[in-house]
Amino acid sequence: MEKFLAIETVVIILLFVAAIVAIAVRRIRLPYTVALVLVGLFISLEHILVFEVTPELILALFLPPLIFEAAFHLEFSSLRDNLLPILVLAVPGVMLSALIIAGIVSVGVGLSLGVAVVFGALISATDPVAVVALFRTLGVPRRLAVAVEGESLFNDGTAIVIFHLALIAVATGSFSVVEGVADFLLVSLGGLGVGMALGWVAAYLIAHIDDYFIEITLTTVLAFGAYLMAEQLHLSGVLAVVAAGLISGNIGSRGMSPTTKTVLFSFWEYLAFVSNSLVFLLIGMGIDLNQVITHIGPIAVAVAAVLVSRAIVVYGLLWLADRLGRFVHVPLSWRHTLFWGGLRGAIGLALALSLPAGLPQRDLLRLMAFGVVLFTLLAQGTTISFLLNWLGLTRRPPQIVARERHLGRLYAAQAGLRHLKELHRDGLLGEDVWAALREEYAQASDQLTSEMVQLFAQHADLEREVLLRTRREALRAERGALGDALRQSLISEEVFQELTTEIDRRMEALDIIGEATMPSRPAET
Amino acid sequence: MGPIVCATRGGEVSRRTQERAIALARERETPLIFFFVADTGFAGPTNEPLSEALDDELARLGRTMLYIARTRAREQGISAHSVARHGTVSEVMENFLREVDASLLVMGTPQENSGHQSFKPGEITEFAEQIRAATGVEVLVVS
Repeated sequence: MEKFLAIETVVIILLFVAAIVAIAVRRIRLPYTVALVLVGLFISLEHILVFEVTPELILALFLPPLIFEAAFHLEFSSLRDNLLPILVLAVPGVMLSALIIAGIVSVGVGLSLGVAVVFGALISATDPVAVVALFRTLGVPRRLAVAVEGESLFNDGTAIVIFHLALIAVATGSFSVVEGVADFLLVSLGGLGVGMALGWVAAYLIAHIDDYFIEITLTTVLAFGAYLMAEQLHLSGVLAVVAAGLISGNIGSRGMSPTTKTVLFSFWEYLAFVSNSLVFLLIGMGIDLNQVITHIGPIAVAVAAVLVSRAIVVYGLLWLADRLGRFVHVPLSWRHTLFWGGLRGAIGLALALSLPAGLPQRDLLRLMAFGVVLFTLLAQGTTISFLLNWLGLTRRPPQIVARERHLGRLYAAQAGLRHLKELHRDGLLGEDVWAALREEYAQASDQLTSEMVQLFAQHADLEREVLLRTRREALRAERGALGDALRQSLISEEVFQELTTEIDRRMEALDIIGEATMPSRPAET
Repeated sequence: MGPIVCATRGGEVSRRTQERAIALARERETPLIFFFVADTGFAGPTNEPLSEALDDELARLGRTMLYIARTRAREQGISAHSVARHGTVSEVMENFLREVDASLLVMGTPQENSGHQSFKPGEITEFAEQIRAATGVEVLVVS
């Protein structure tokens, strides 16, 4: 009982720390996950809190909700549009990456080739949580975000399978390419099969029930159940969760009412937020900074290997694939983002922690993995926003920015004028000064209004954007009013549900219209 | 002479298109009708309740834009009408032009960077030709 209470206390403290960090990063330009790692490092250095990070904890407890949430949100249509680049990066890309890293660290650090391949595999899976969160904030093109997220979903599975095959090869001292490929296919496709089967069952049940409590419960069972069942069958648990999330999110959600959809998606977003927060805090807490500094040489080689392999995979493999027939073009600016956004995180650390005790140079591999994760998070994670800005991927249509700027100035000017009016009314501002300032503010307001009219005349599509925005505002107000009516018992729960469902559906329709009619950003190169 | 029909969807050149149509209505002394088609084809397959909401919201957006266009015409001394219909743009437009026995259709050229379009910039001339051939109505494309 005491042990349980101690664990509960630690978890609550970590969640509180996560909440504080989340509040703090709103004020500083630092990705949330990077800030969590830094706080975790501080906690570990100061020995404030001791918590053992085990691979099971990351792989079986935190990873399923993270992967499930990402897959659940990913639309088939978006995935289909980017499937080829995603698969090229996630399957041959990870294999190539593992081999390149293995070659470099084998020569640079002096590891045996087998052990080097184990390291290459465990560090090849990308973990772009920090990057994807930034994409959402900065309004990066949706297709690029899908490519980054999709690659990470599928390459986790590939990396884990190669990692296990490499471990077996090191343990037995032999490796057959044919057996290796067969095992790879069995574990990967088997995992996907388990996930698809369970996903279909859950989707069928979800489509026939409209009760968000039951649907939340079913998807929770699905996310963790798919992982556990596949692992029990010695198949890929990660790929099972990916398939289960994709199927249930795309097919199961078709029959959901908008309210259920909103509640269910919010639940998974929250669960992913909690898992992410704990994973990255624990990553920080699990890194022994003194050891990292002591082994800076091998870590530097590992970081270089990871960057070189990423460059070869992203630029080389995508270029090659581009030349080999019908392929979705990936613009150069996107390739730069894929290269620098290839951060490493939870999967790499979990695999490093799960290395068997008898593996030669196990501790060094762990330190190298921790060092690479730390470098990618601190160096790449903190600079990716500058790269996105430099590449022009965060630029919004100039007329919309101009409209917002004018609106902001007008809003501020009117607030200033209101305040001066109050001062004058209270007798704190003399008549002459008030008259002069009022005149000045009136002129500024007139000027801004006239510029706004001119802007609307030049860019007629702004009118449509404003109409859509205003309609959304009105619907939000309608929804709020229904909540008030329910609290005042003017309407029943049943009528409330019916009417809010209708409003949610209209909001969804406006999102679709907005997405389709919004002026796009300047042409991408 | 039949009315001038000004097709509008709120795109980048819609304001210029409307102004041109108003000027022509004044010059030719013919009635002016602002026309909007709620075509939800861009959304792809969606479930029925969402499809209904989409259609309804798009039509609502269209009606508001038509109201603004009418007001704009009134301010310039032209009393215009407006009509919003649902369906596929080309089909609905051809039917409407025949129905009102229009003398001229005024429409804008879609811009490269302005989201989903019923037609791509290069296809507008082809579409204008198609309308002209099918209905015999003169088509003016404003860019």
